[in-house]
Amino acid sequence: MRTRSASRMLRSPLVVVTLIILTWFSAAFLLWPNLNLLAETFFPGGEFTGRAVERLLSSDRAMRSLANSFLLAVVLSITVNVVGIFVVLVTQYFRIRGSRILWLGYATTFLFGGIVLAAGYKFIYGSDGIVTELIAPYFPGLDRDWFSGFFAVLFVMTLASTTNHLLFLGNAIRDVDFQTIEAARNMGASDWTILRRVVLPVLKPTLFAVTILSFLVGLGALSAPQVLGGEDFQTITPIILTFANSSSSRDIAALLALVLGAATIIMLAIMSRLERGGTYHTVARVAAPLQKQRISNPVVNVVVHVVAYVLFVIYISPLVLIFLYSFMDSASISAGVLSPDRFTLENYTRVLSQGSVLRPFIVSIVYSGLSAIITVGGLLFVTRIIQKYRTGLTTTFEYLLHIPWILPAAMIALGLVMTYDEPSPLLGGAVLSGTTVILLVAFVVVKIPFTLRMLKAAFSSVNESMEEAATIMGAGALYTFRRILLPAVLPTAAAIAALNFNSQLDDYDTAVFLAHPLYQPLGLQIKANTEGGADVNAVANTFVYTVLLMIVMGLTMYLVYGRGSRRGRKKRRSAVTAPTEPAPDAPVVPTNAGEAHPALGATSEVNPPPPVASGSTRQ
Amino acid sequence: MSIALATSAAFLFTACGGSSDGAGANDEAGEPLIVYTNSDSEGRGEWLQAEAEAEGFDIEIVGAGGADATNKLIAERNNPIADVVFGLNNVYYEQLKSEDVLEPYTPAWSGEVDETLADPDDDKAYWPLVQQAIVLTYNEDAVSEAPEDWPDLWTDDRYSDRYERASSMAGATTQLVMAGILSRYQDENGDLGVSDEGWQQIEQYFQNGVPAEKDVDLFARFAEGDVDLGQMPSSSIPGREEAYDVTAGVVSPEVGVPYAVEQVAVVRGSDNQDTAKEFIDWFGSGDVQGRWAAEFDALPVNEVALEQAPPEVIEFNEQFTRQDIDYGFVQENLDSWVEKIELEYMP
Repeated sequence: MRTRSASRMLRSPLVVVTLIILTWFSAAFLLWPNLNLLAETFFPGGEFTGRAVERLLSSDRAMRSLANSFLLAVVLSITVNVVGIFVVLVTQYFRIRGSRILWLGYATTFLFGGIVLAAGYKFIYGSDGIVTELIAPYFPGLDRDWFSGFFAVLFVMTLASTTNHLLFLGNAIRDVDFQTIEAARNMGASDWTILRRVVLPVLKPTLFAVTILSFLVGLGALSAPQVLGGEDFQTITPIILTFANSSSSRDIAALLALVLGAATIIMLAIMSRLERGGTYHTVARVAAPLQKQRISNPVVNVVVHVVAYVLFVIYISPLVLIFLYSFMDSASISAGVLSPDRFTLENYTRVLSQGSVLRPFIVSIVYSGLSAIITVGGLLFVTRIIQKYRTGLTTTFEYLLHIPWILPAAMIALGLVMTYDEPSPLLGGAVLSGTTVILLVAFVVVKIPFTLRMLKAAFSSVNESMEEAATIMGAGALYTFRRILLPAVLPTAAAIAALNFNSQLDDYDTAVFLAHPLYQPLGLQIKANTEGGADVNAVANTFVYTVLLMIVMGLTMYLVYGRGSRRGRKKRRSAVTAPTEPAPDAPVVPTNAGEAHPALGATSEVNPPPPVASGSTRQ
Repeated sequence: MSIALATSAAFLFTACGGSSDGAGANDEAGEPLIVYTNSDSEGRGEWLQAEAEAEGFDIEIVGAGGADATNKLIAERNNPIADVVFGLNNVYYEQLKSEDVLEPYTPAWSGEVDETLADPDDDKAYWPLVQQAIVLTYNEDAVSEAPEDWPDLWTDDRYSDRYERASSMAGATTQLVMAGILSRYQDENGDLGVSDEGWQQIEQYFQNGVPAEKDVDLFARFAEGDVDLGQMPSSSIPGREEAYDVTAGVVSPEVGVPYAVEQVAVVRGSDNQDTAKEFIDWFGSGDVQGRWAAEFDALPVNEVALEQAPPEVIEFNEQFTRQDIDYGFVQENLDSWVEKIELEYMP
């Protein structure tokens, strides 16, 4: 790609306007709120104070939750790897009966994650949950709260986080050279040796990336500990939330958010460093495609099959139960009764016909939709400029736009709240807190890095000579953009918008800090419905919300991937595989798996063989 | 292209309207009056909504715990959402006033209430509606010998692990209970104005109690046998006894009990100032307060309403003495107390 000089870049009015807006946006929403957070924590009123640090250090509870968060992060990275590697091997590497079905089961957490997953598990296994209700008579000594605390949080988050493995590891395993495997086998290597010495080394870089991602997801966990952790297992982010609400204790919240931010940055830096010294792309560009391996030891084979199907049941059971119970009346739900003669559509009627019940759903759709359109729409121009003109200025902007990637969502939200609760010259004297805009800003901000990476890849796949030809024939910048570039990147842009839309539909982590009290998105409503005395209809409503969410998400996926899979595959592949190559121009983002930074809440790597590929890094 | 850019930037600023178009059900009927309150549970919100509608007020109630509502109002002071706030006790209103959240207003019914319960300043910003004692209540069937005062809960083994303690500091009732205990141990040299002994009480309170479950009613837990004692605003007791079929006793300590005087005020700088004032004139009037009192067993401050209040409610409240609490001291320290409790004493 040709590098153009800065002066030439600034000759285009379009570029100038874009850059002015970009400068303002970066300053107002990416830089200042986070710097202000630092300032307010350590220099409130201009003087340094260690108050927040002192208060925090003197608090057993805060220290314990910090420890819990790190414990969760460490253990989660192990459990997610164990389960994740297993599901990938079972669906992609070993010859297992019904592996397509298994894959679909394991992939349910694409559509069913975050607060929805935590709420779903609580409704099923919680103290008043359906399963608890059913088994309690047979186990008289059963502690009804058996599904809570560290175990429950770990369990739910492990299932939710294996989506990264399915996406990235599932992709990487196809890079394994089949001839090497054959050769190893001919030399008498066992299944286990081949797995350990041939397959795993190829997966190592990806494994490393997903491990760090799991670690970060565990560290910043919010909804699962809140819904399932109970008093015995509290983590940092819920405590941040507690203190963020009180204006006099916000410095403590900010300090905790900074700790989280620092840990995230350190982990990503490690990931980046290890990758840069990488010895990865040693594997040949797959000469022979991987063929599924039979497990030769019959006992092992049976065991693997059994474990695979048990896992399958674990993955799909909440989903199936929620679907079935969404058709039962409220009394049956609370008693755990499931029977055809109690079948009713009244839950659906209630949700769809009562404005107040449907409202959170609509609020969420409007927010996610606007956010997807604004992010992709705005970044189309920005990405174009960054990709076309390589100057110090554009590189700086590229770095700036990656800021949301290295910060936890809680910190971004807190920065916005603390900065824009009073008139700010950066916004022409406007106040953002108490408006519906502040949540939208946060939604847009957290989606920027992911969108930018994907769009950049899309632009770089556009044939440059087309553009040059248009320019030579006298087409203006806008005309070229509209008629040549836009049609080329539009399919990818639409796909990114759809993924963004899906991942923010059930957002909880950002909304809980920023939502307008009259326009509460779905995530908050679902969380409210999980609380103790919420009435029976609330549970039924949540089931219906969950089913509707999956329908909407599934439909979006289908529109993007299913329907267009014949005609759009080529374009998509080029758009999406690009980031997997080491990108010298994007230093902040270490690997393809970096797409899944938890702060972003979205991961997407589209790789054709498994039909679906998106979702969120759920916790 | 710049047009497109401008449009997408403009989106950011017009999205406010955009999302309300999508989500608002009552746009065409003008902006509804937004009412913040912590007093919307047990059907109060629905009752008020219906009564106000019959009177021609289009109101939307946003419910939150007393401290939460206060924090929200303070956080939103530069861009207020709420038009009216009612139900919080005077400590929070003092705080709101010092943060410049309230608009002074003298309602039409100001002559019918005891002015000493209202805003002490000349420029009165908040006015009393109802008052209630914050009491320690217990299940009479389960507690053979009632405690005499709060500290008995953690000093007497019989009550250990049988009383419900707070699991969140966001509620007004909880904060008043804490204030009622801490203000007994006022000590200039102590941390945040409270002696070490006072803080030990709080520590013990948290160590020996059973955590409250969010949204699970104390009386429901009485009925289940989970716990036998706990905190409750006095007006909530009679209705719950009936609903859960529990006979409740109340503790009336010698030192007295904290009283919450629930107030109403106009929020400064909101869009519906005039409607807000009309609403307050209506809501605080003798007639409405009287019906409110009859419906929810409240003890109204309005003298006209008091005549309509159920006699047993008045009688019930007469058994308590008012604890002598230095509210200036409480208000000055409450935020720091809550923070300290959250950090150091809550498990």
